[in-house]
Amino acid sequence: MIPLLAAAPAYGLPSYLFVSALLFAIGFFGVLLRKNTLVIYMCLELMLLASTLALVAFSKFNGTLDGNVFVFFILTIAAAEVAVGLAIIVALFRKRHTIQVEELNQLKH
Amino acid sequence: MSTELLKAVAASNEWWALGPEIILACAALGLLVLELVTPKAQHRFIPHAAGMALAVVLAGVALNFGKIWDGEELFGGLIRLSMPGQVARVFFLLSSLLVCFLATVCLPRARVPRVEFYHLLLVVTAALMLLAQSNHFVMFFVALETVTIGFYILVSYYRERASSLEAGLKYLVLGALSSAILLFGIVLLYGAVGRVEAGGVVHTGFEFGTVLTFLRENPGNFLATAGALLVIGGVAFKIGAFPFQIWVPDVYQGAPTPVTAFLAVSSKAAGFAVLLLLVHGAFAPLAGVLVPVLSLLAAATIIFGNLSALTQRNTKRLMGLSGVAHAGYLLIGVVASFTVPWAAGAVWFYLFTYLLASMAVFGVMAYVAGPDDSGEELDHYARLARERPFLGAVLAVGVGSLAGIPPLAGFMGKLLLFVAAFHAQLYGLLAVAVVGVVISIFYYFGWIKAAWFEIWTPPAAGTDSPARPLPAGPKWVGVAALALLTFATVLLGFFQAPLSGWLLPR
Repeated sequence: MIPLLAAAPAYGLPSYLFVSALLFAIGFFGVLLRKNTLVIYMCLELMLLASTLALVAFSKFNGTLDGNVFVFFILTIAAAEVAVGLAIIVALFRKRHTIQVEELNQLKH
Repeated sequence: MSTELLKAVAASNEWWALGPEIILACAALGLLVLELVTPKAQHRFIPHAAGMALAVVLAGVALNFGKIWDGEELFGGLIRLSMPGQVARVFFLLSSLLVCFLATVCLPRARVPRVEFYHLLLVVTAALMLLAQSNHFVMFFVALETVTIGFYILVSYYRERASSLEAGLKYLVLGALSSAILLFGIVLLYGAVGRVEAGGVVHTGFEFGTVLTFLRENPGNFLATAGALLVIGGVAFKIGAFPFQIWVPDVYQGAPTPVTAFLAVSSKAAGFAVLLLLVHGAFAPLAGVLVPVLSLLAAATIIFGNLSALTQRNTKRLMGLSGVAHAGYLLIGVVASFTVPWAAGAVWFYLFTYLLASMAVFGVMAYVAGPDDSGEELDHYARLARERPFLGAVLAVGVGSLAGIPPLAGFMGKLLLFVAAFHAQLYGLLAVAVVGVVISIFYYFGWIKAAWFEIWTPPAAGTDSPARPLPAGPKWVGVAALALLTFATVLLGFFQAPLSGWLLPR
């Protein structure tokens, strides 16, 4: 038992929502601003996790279980997305030998 | 298994009602099994099997169309059977059948595995049909993600081409971004609605009906309004509306031609089916917020799509950006449907004419394209009408219908939408749309001109590129499919009754 955590006050819904919104914002701006495809990918996952955190918090404070169930669906979908995404990134790296976004500009006229 | 359970299952028609989707999913798995058990020489019949499955399901849905389940909810409210849902089923099946035909033309030119393409096509079609009938946000999100993840793979299907992979990556990043935004919107709605107890049953904010009641009873709830707007933003990505259209040209160009057609027609139609479902279902009380937002989106989308299409020489980018403009016209129909109920039918009529014309044009593009279909320019259409008069004629009718030239179906689609907008007194949007149509005639005619009229070019000394090979002549299936699309486009321009009597309630 970690005494610090055990003694911590019970946090209210706004605290959870604040953290969730913060994670979502970090993820969103990360996707827009970062240049490395893998980091962009991590930011996308961060956005999904922000939604998951808010979902669990709402589920707890609303007293309905549906939110917790939805989390499993989201995890499954995120896993499928990662599987497809990483496959595309690896195939693209084999062709172009780069994963930097600014160098992936073949499709421009 | 107890007999009571079997009886209960037999008594309820829940699974029967989802027959088309279940058959498609089984057929998709069947294709993979077929590839394993049949000798390699027989593999060329697998595309025909996929086409047959789609055609059989389409015939089944069409035959049972009269048996309208009006607003019946299945599986504890996950699915809601309705007339628009049935129309969407027919639309997606027809579109996938034509994509299947395009794939039999295009895929043999590339060194890629083929069976998986048809597998994914069937899975995505089933998910699209479920998406249009969903009545619950969990169902909605899962169906939408099945479609989107299927499209990630389809867009990057030419895995030996950097352009296709790059398009896949761009679609993946922006698609996942929009999905995350949409998901956050769903979570906010869930949180705002909270726990609703009615008649001893606990309802949550995932159910469309509960969201509708909540929004009606609590107008101006900030959390719920923000959630609804985030969901609409995620859907706007699907239809390629203005601030979310940034992926369209690159992805359309890099994707294989059949996938571009699938994206342009089915993915866009799915966006509109969902948009109509939401703004008339769960988000109906938010009309005061949604009408200005959607109007602004429509105007910006029309102007952006038409102006950026003006300078395009690459045909796929041209189709993509003009498709953005078409999404703008359709958004006007969605805005009009808040006050004029039959405008929703007009949106579907427009989508059907767009399907016929786009598939005809993509069919011609598939034949004209060489092995590398991402670099197809307008110049490649020079002398098309003289060398392949049939393809030239199909192109002229298809592009003419997209531009909205009077005797063709596209004109009637635009007319219906604009009459609806006029009845809804959206004069400002109407003016923008008319200006957009005038601009669009310029670039569409540039395409027809490239195919039909000789352009004298000075012979460049020494630097002339090797002559392009003659476009492949279509086989009889191709001739039949393209002729049917062209015929339907011309016929719908004169007689709208078969389609409008069915889509527009009197």
